[in-house]
Amino acid sequence: MRYRVKHITEYQYAGRVSHCYNMAHLMPRNCQRQQCISSQLDILPGSAFNVRREDYYGNWAHHFEIHQPHKVLKIVATSDVETRTQASVIDLELGVTCGQAREMMATSRDSDTLLAREFLLDSPMVSVNDELKNYAAPFFADDKPLMTAVKDLTAAIYRDFKYSPASTTVATPINEVMQTRAGVCQDFAHVQIGCLRAMGFAAKYVSGYLETLPPPGQPKMVGTDASHAWLSVYAPGEGWFEFDPTNNCIAAEQHIITAWGRDYFDVTPLCGVIFGGGKQPLLSVSVDVMRLT
Amino acid sequence: MNTSAMRPDWLYPPSSGRHDDMLTADGDLRAHWLEILDSLNGLEDIPDRQQKALRILRDDGATYNIYGDLNQQSTTWNLDLVPNVIGSEEWAEVESGLLERAELFNLVLRDIYGERSLVRNGVIPPEALFCHRGFLRACHGIQLPGEHDLILHAVDLIREPSGGFLVLGDRTQSPSGAGYALENRTVMSRVFPSLFRDSHVHRLSAFFQRLRAKLLSLSPDPAQARVALLTPGPHNETYFEHAYMANYMGFPLVQSDDLMVRNGRLWMKSLDGLKRVDVLLRRVDDWFCDPVELRSDSRLGVPGLLEVVRAGNLVVANPLGSGIIENPVFLKYLPQIARALLGRELRLPSVNTWWCGDAEDKQYVLANLKDMVIKPVYRKPGNMSVRACELDQNGLQQLAQRIEQDPLQYVAQPYLKAGHLPALDGSQLAPRPSVLRSFAVASAESYTLMPGGLTRSGAEENSFVIANQAGACSKDTWVVDSEPERLLSSEHAEEPVATREAESISLPSRVVENLFWMGRYAERAESTLRILRTTFMQFSSESPASPVVKTHLLQALQKMAILLPDNLPADQQLERWVRDGTLSNSIASNLNSMLFCADQAKELLSSDTFRIINDIRDALVKLPNELNNSLGSAPEEVLDPLVTALMAFAGLTQESMNRSFGWRFMELGRRLERAQQINTAIRGLLVPVVNENEQNRLAESLLLTLETLISYRRRYRGRMSVQTSLDLILLDKSNPRSLLYQLETIAEHLRALPHPATVLHELSDEERTLMQAEVLIKLTPLKELSSEEETSPSGQQNAPQEQPRQTPANAALQRDKLLSAMTRCHQLMGALNDQITDKYFDHREASQQLVRNSMEIL
Repeated sequence: MRYRVKHITEYQYAGRVSHCYNMAHLMPRNCQRQQCISSQLDILPGSAFNVRREDYYGNWAHHFEIHQPHKVLKIVATSDVETRTQASVIDLELGVTCGQAREMMATSRDSDTLLAREFLLDSPMVSVNDELKNYAAPFFADDKPLMTAVKDLTAAIYRDFKYSPASTTVATPINEVMQTRAGVCQDFAHVQIGCLRAMGFAAKYVSGYLETLPPPGQPKMVGTDASHAWLSVYAPGEGWFEFDPTNNCIAAEQHIITAWGRDYFDVTPLCGVIFGGGKQPLLSVSVDVMRLT
Repeated sequence: MNTSAMRPDWLYPPSSGRHDDMLTADGDLRAHWLEILDSLNGLEDIPDRQQKALRILRDDGATYNIYGDLNQQSTTWNLDLVPNVIGSEEWAEVESGLLERAELFNLVLRDIYGERSLVRNGVIPPEALFCHRGFLRACHGIQLPGEHDLILHAVDLIREPSGGFLVLGDRTQSPSGAGYALENRTVMSRVFPSLFRDSHVHRLSAFFQRLRAKLLSLSPDPAQARVALLTPGPHNETYFEHAYMANYMGFPLVQSDDLMVRNGRLWMKSLDGLKRVDVLLRRVDDWFCDPVELRSDSRLGVPGLLEVVRAGNLVVANPLGSGIIENPVFLKYLPQIARALLGRELRLPSVNTWWCGDAEDKQYVLANLKDMVIKPVYRKPGNMSVRACELDQNGLQQLAQRIEQDPLQYVAQPYLKAGHLPALDGSQLAPRPSVLRSFAVASAESYTLMPGGLTRSGAEENSFVIANQAGACSKDTWVVDSEPERLLSSEHAEEPVATREAESISLPSRVVENLFWMGRYAERAESTLRILRTTFMQFSSESPASPVVKTHLLQALQKMAILLPDNLPADQQLERWVRDGTLSNSIASNLNSMLFCADQAKELLSSDTFRIINDIRDALVKLPNELNNSLGSAPEEVLDPLVTALMAFAGLTQESMNRSFGWRFMELGRRLERAQQINTAIRGLLVPVVNENEQNRLAESLLLTLETLISYRRRYRGRMSVQTSLDLILLDKSNPRSLLYQLETIAEHLRALPHPATVLHELSDEERTLMQAEVLIKLTPLKELSSEEETSPSGQQNAPQEQPRQTPANAALQRDKLLSAMTRCHQLMGALNDQITDKYFDHREASQQLVRNSMEIL
């Protein structure tokens, strides 16, 4: 599927910002099931310096400096991207069992598996604890196929956690989400990543967009889409597979990937340092995912 | 051996279980110590020399800041006079081991931020790398030009019971200590000149030359390399060393606020605009260097720094992310790492290390916990090593629990008994466990080792922690030859390797601003001390001042400083005002501010100047006590040492500082402040109109305060008058304490400052302001200024000025013309201060993180 994604971020500052330094993860990355065909980052006011690089995880990171005084910062990221479904669609009933997978994670000398172990460890926003372990354990019997177990865990999170946009800020600690059983997509992704790591499996955080379809018979409204987040789990010898606990599904063509990392911390859409600006800037974000084919 | 010639009380019996570098197990002296001990033994004056060493260290400003001790700002560096002596043959062996180790860790660093073959090929478990917080993913792919990424490599070594050297760990982030080693050497060579010469000690200067050359070579244009040393600032524990090394190598010392990123390059905000920096020797820790990509709350780094590095426009040494090499887990895997990257194992052994991230190791550690030292994998303040044998049952259990909870984050090592070195304990020698930090610097194709290093000895015979934070002392480390060292022509002395070239343009604005304020505060403290002294004297003089005089004196004081609002008796007010550092404008607070500014500009001040600064600091500390002791009798005398020290400070800066821009700014500050203080004193003491006796007393007080009473008496034969007093303190250009003298000196300094190239001939704003003040003072006749009458519109001023007044003056009566002229002049000088600030100093704006908000994501 081919999409055009328009992601607009706007900061309105209470005071004048004299200059700023920013880093953005706003451009879709390339990977096996996705190709970014073109991408453009428009920055208002004009930036003095603007470069793009590939980061540690292979995501696109933009860096820009602005040295002209401004009270509004507006970043418009426009990207055309081609997506496919995940390789050979995940066969949920076959493949390695949980027991085999755990064993391979610990002993395999295969370099993909060795490198995947980075995603087994605690990360800035996801630390494994007993609560996560207890929550996840029933799904991961040794003789159960790993993908089935992950699918069941995804469904459980979808069922047990309430989607409530007001309930968390971006930096909600995972413990709090476990307590309140409510959150937004990145919280569910963090929870499931924590569960998987607690069970001995490597899991990545994936940020991106989800195409939403209008109700039948109605035209699609511009700007109704949003940023999204889900996760990817590693099956030794088989590769990485993406699951979306917010929608209880396997990520498919409509899941457009921006970036992945250990958790949200690694792929923050926009961060940086501003000089001046006063208190409490107002942030507005709008995302539009448009089907091109 | 020949111990009979030794004073018996010098030596001590060797302790069992530890190597003693001076004594064999039988208590005999080892050969390489003979000569040195012989000389020390012959020196009857060890205590004197110890004093001398302490004094030199203090004068050099050699301090070490103890974290968490706010009352004690800094402690003088502790140097034991008995050096750590190592024979050159043994050293050669250690050296080759250390050079090999540096080469290996250079390869490890390159691999970690490049291929990661060590992980990919299973040489180390992935967690050994990925669990360590020193692994900066943001630094992936950054490589330095040339063969080496690891520029500086420091290693801590002890002697094992067998006598051989054993590596405890590596310091690679921003290794400290090389500067202290150099300072130790400088002091030792001055305290023991002949012993030092005769012992054929290998010199240290070549190491710093290599370091300097390496840093220059990292620049894209080595001929015009712009290198700076980045320090966290005066509160850092090793700030002395930062300033010392910057000076020694001739690089500007910069802090976070001195730097900024613009257009993908790094710039230093200097007196004459932004200057590019292409190499940064940094003493700021990895995570704090760039708030955009690393720790977002850091105020010690430069936003956008990492991206400048990535773009190839800046080299940071050691490179960001090099802290990963300090990971003690690598010690466990060192043999396989060395085989994989070097093709052989290292010849210098490292301490046995068990990593709890390895299941077998963890089991072993938990089973033998009591014999272990447990270390956190990631070193940070407050994250201390634990000696399990010092814990009770409960403590052991908790420790085991912590390990079980997060096994990846702990390593264990055996409790080592570091070898002893002799150290002075009073006038005797005592055995002290010691650790040596060695330093290697990358040069073109290989590494060069500093011959020697920084030796530290524990506070007691069985000290476990050997750290400055725990009361350790340091030692000079002597690698000695039986033959004199052949010197390269460029290496003959421990001379600075470079002189500060084009110093004027490489001064950060911050330093200049601090010099300006150092001048202002020093002068403010001095003038307030003077008027205070005058006031004390007039209060307690044999013919006591009248209440009117007292009132005016106190009011003048009040104008020059803020006096207490409460109704304390006058002398108690005076006293608090001297010593209460919390009162703004008290003597103590002015002096503290001055000392703070001096710290910020440390690298520009000579050691003579530091001696005076130390005197001021000492006098300040002693002041409360001395005031208490002198209560009631001559409190003014207590202030004398401070006045003298401040005079000495003024004289020294005048005599021993280069006439650089830095000096000019300090002078500008001093002159501007003095102009304001003279002005204020005139308004307080000459503007009021009082009876003749009292007028004389006030004029006398003013002249005394301005140190011009003697010249006045000589010139005017003791006859006091307002007009002649004004002549001397306003207009007399031969009087360095006259107002006009200040204005003309300021004008001279302003002319000498860098100006933007312009074709216009118009005056700058500052010059214009200054000229207005000058014209005002010069064009108003003294008669008008000293007139007691209100200025009539016609300007008729015929009344005789010195007509005695028989009746007490109306308290409100004042010299209006004088007051308005002085007030205007005061305003103008205030404006001048602002103009200088706007034009030359940096205007920092508070930065903040871009807020991350929940609305951003579904």
